[in-house]
Amino acid sequence: MSNPDTMDVLQKAGKKVVLLGNEAVVRGALEAGMGFSASYPGTPSSEIGITLAAIADKAGFYCEWSTNEKTAFEACVGAAYCGVRALTAMKHFGMNVALDSILPVVYTGVKGGLVLVIADDPGGFSSAQSEQDVRYALRMGNLPTIEPSNAQECIEFTKLAFEISEKYETPVVLRTTTFVNHCLGSVKLGAMKKPRTQGRFEKNYERYYNIRPAIQKMHRAVLERLERIEKECAGKLNRVEGSAGGKKKVGIVAGGVCYEHVKELGLKDVKIAKIGMSYPISREFVVKFLKGLDEAIVVEELEPIIENFVKQVAKDVNLGLKVHGKDILPRVGEFSPDLIYERIAPVLGLKKKDWKEQEKLLAGIKIPPRKPVLCQGCPHRSTFYAVKKTLGENFVWAGDIGCYILGIYEPFKMQDFVISMGAGAGIAHGICKVSGQKPVVFMGDGTFFHAGMPAIANLVYNDSRPLLVIMDNGITAMTGHQPHAGMGKRAGGKDAPSIKIEEVLKGFGIKNIAIVNSFNQKQVQETVKEFAKKDELAVIISRGGCRLLAKREARRSGKDFPVFEIDQAKCTKCGECVMHFACPAILKKDNGTFMINPDLCWGCSVCGQICPARAIRAKVKTV
Amino acid sequence: MKFNVLLTGVGGEGVLLASAILARAANIEGYEVHGIQLHGLAQRGGSIPTYVRFGDKGGIYSPIIPRGGADLIIGLETIEAARSCYFADKKKTNFLIDTYTVVPVYANLSGVKYPSEKEVEKMIAPFAKSITIVDASRLTKEKLGSALYGNAMAFGVAIGKGLLPLKRKSLENAMAETIPRDMEKNLQAFKMGLEFRG
Repeated sequence: MSNPDTMDVLQKAGKKVVLLGNEAVVRGALEAGMGFSASYPGTPSSEIGITLAAIADKAGFYCEWSTNEKTAFEACVGAAYCGVRALTAMKHFGMNVALDSILPVVYTGVKGGLVLVIADDPGGFSSAQSEQDVRYALRMGNLPTIEPSNAQECIEFTKLAFEISEKYETPVVLRTTTFVNHCLGSVKLGAMKKPRTQGRFEKNYERYYNIRPAIQKMHRAVLERLERIEKECAGKLNRVEGSAGGKKKVGIVAGGVCYEHVKELGLKDVKIAKIGMSYPISREFVVKFLKGLDEAIVVEELEPIIENFVKQVAKDVNLGLKVHGKDILPRVGEFSPDLIYERIAPVLGLKKKDWKEQEKLLAGIKIPPRKPVLCQGCPHRSTFYAVKKTLGENFVWAGDIGCYILGIYEPFKMQDFVISMGAGAGIAHGICKVSGQKPVVFMGDGTFFHAGMPAIANLVYNDSRPLLVIMDNGITAMTGHQPHAGMGKRAGGKDAPSIKIEEVLKGFGIKNIAIVNSFNQKQVQETVKEFAKKDELAVIISRGGCRLLAKREARRSGKDFPVFEIDQAKCTKCGECVMHFACPAILKKDNGTFMINPDLCWGCSVCGQICPARAIRAKVKTV
Repeated sequence: MKFNVLLTGVGGEGVLLASAILARAANIEGYEVHGIQLHGLAQRGGSIPTYVRFGDKGGIYSPIIPRGGADLIIGLETIEAARSCYFADKKKTNFLIDTYTVVPVYANLSGVKYPSEKEVEKMIAPFAKSITIVDASRLTKEKLGSALYGNAMAFGVAIGKGLLPLKRKSLENAMAETIPRDMEKNLQAFKMGLEFRG
């Protein structure tokens, strides 16, 4: 973990540093005097929680990793009800988990500022599942939403979000996208405010009882509040730059990183409306912007949300006004300045750039793809291999979210679907009920605590009998090694009670529970063989620590760590280690021989166990 | 003044740390910095392209390097440099490539061969104003005990050969402020890079 004393996010006011967008959000929270934070990791939002956890003690606020986004959000609501400024950060799918609680909290409102940072991921750089646009859901919930464009605005808008939240007593969303939360940017730091960490819950019938007959009154109040926010704030967060010249008067409307992309193009004679508050959007601002224009282009990634609003307003301004958006720009994937230029150039009467020559040259680049992989030494690889070796291909592989999602790729292909946290078990249940097939459900330890438990309870309650393999690597690894409820540690490395997965399963009344060592092929294979035959729900907990952490620990302590090598005299070149086990440290050379790269080998020993010729052996090496 | 660096490699090589150092060095010199550090799904072994753009205030907006707009592409892994040619242009792009190679698992599985150093050089040539190839990881492993110091050596080469318009001192300070340990060896590697002739 980084040393808080040297972290830029804690530097003095007035200093100019470079921060990641997510770090800048944290700085904004510090400048706003945030006293409480709770999150569940999810990239592209993860560095917010990681940074908060690293500095919480030094900066003097409360910070936790919660069991999921819903509990994290609820914890923040509790703090905000007591008057403490609170922040939670989540990825887009995390919002889906928390939404059940988010929507009613808009009705009750909050006392202390409550900011939800929600990170969308156009292009799916850091996530599988879908390219959802959270802004639809935020409209459903009447949630004021502001969208920073760069690192400096991540600071400023976070502060503003707290101010708006507290002034209007509503949760406020700071929505980012991958190119904002993972942007690097120069920022000038403002003064940090001493966090207020204690408050008190005051009973208030009027405020918190969102049940008939008050519910309609509260709904009305929410809408009135939105109107006030639109009038008083929305205009301030937006601005107009430049002026429309030339024969055809064109204006561009953009927010978030799209604004930066448009500015990068250096267009002349084009008026730009920067939208900082994307909900509510100021009608008055848009009307004023559109006046006198012949055409407008709304540049936004994913869904046509600002566009639809602008189109609505445009009708009232001038029926002849043409508004472009998704007619020329894609609804899929992330944008870049090049892409935007290519699509808007015809509207602006500009010449498209000619990339034909480059395209031709690019076709000459022939290199192997580099898809995401399980690390060398990963306990999950060993478990996947053992399960497939034992059961063959005739099972349904029910998947889930975590490092083990990478089992979806070759050569394993052991995630037949990947829907959401805990959904592997949930969907397997339905498959069991209607198909007579036996699914094998893979579930990580982090997922078990996040959303796995209700799904497993349903398997027990409604009597489904898949084979459940819990892949317990002891930590939430994929997002950068955050602690969870089974670890005995909480945010900042403090000791915590450890909830034992096997005890929970016993409590559910599950009789067939085996705990195996992920790195012991014989044990995993034998147990899989035995448990797959059971005509009851059976659970194998395949336990093996994240090898990346073990390697780091060995490096830190200077202790010996084995690496493995292939005895060329014994190797029959059968290719099992590469074609079926697919360890990134093992290489098939051009001359057909195999070798283990000693720099990459993390000594898990499993290749030695699976080699049919027993040609792989350990040698001890200090790493 | 506006300068675009595309620094790329494979997860686990220290690519993110290297781009943070570069961004910090540019900040030390008073430039405005924009860029991107993308994180993929995997903790290790994925492609990690990062963009660091720096220049005078108000000259850069987008964190994304324009197509064909890279001034310098640093490939901390050989084929990752080739993967970045979309951002390169013969008129302006200098390439600096460490010969460190991580053969993707999928090269074995897909049958697409991992090209030789010479083949990579040939692929890149139509996009390159110049190509500097340095065995940074191999040399630092031999002399200093770890291939991880190769990144510091690559920075040394970039400064020494005038491929990166930043001062030596800024890079050294940025490294000292960013790297958690083994500063001494990183400085040695940096010096090896400054003295590199090739």
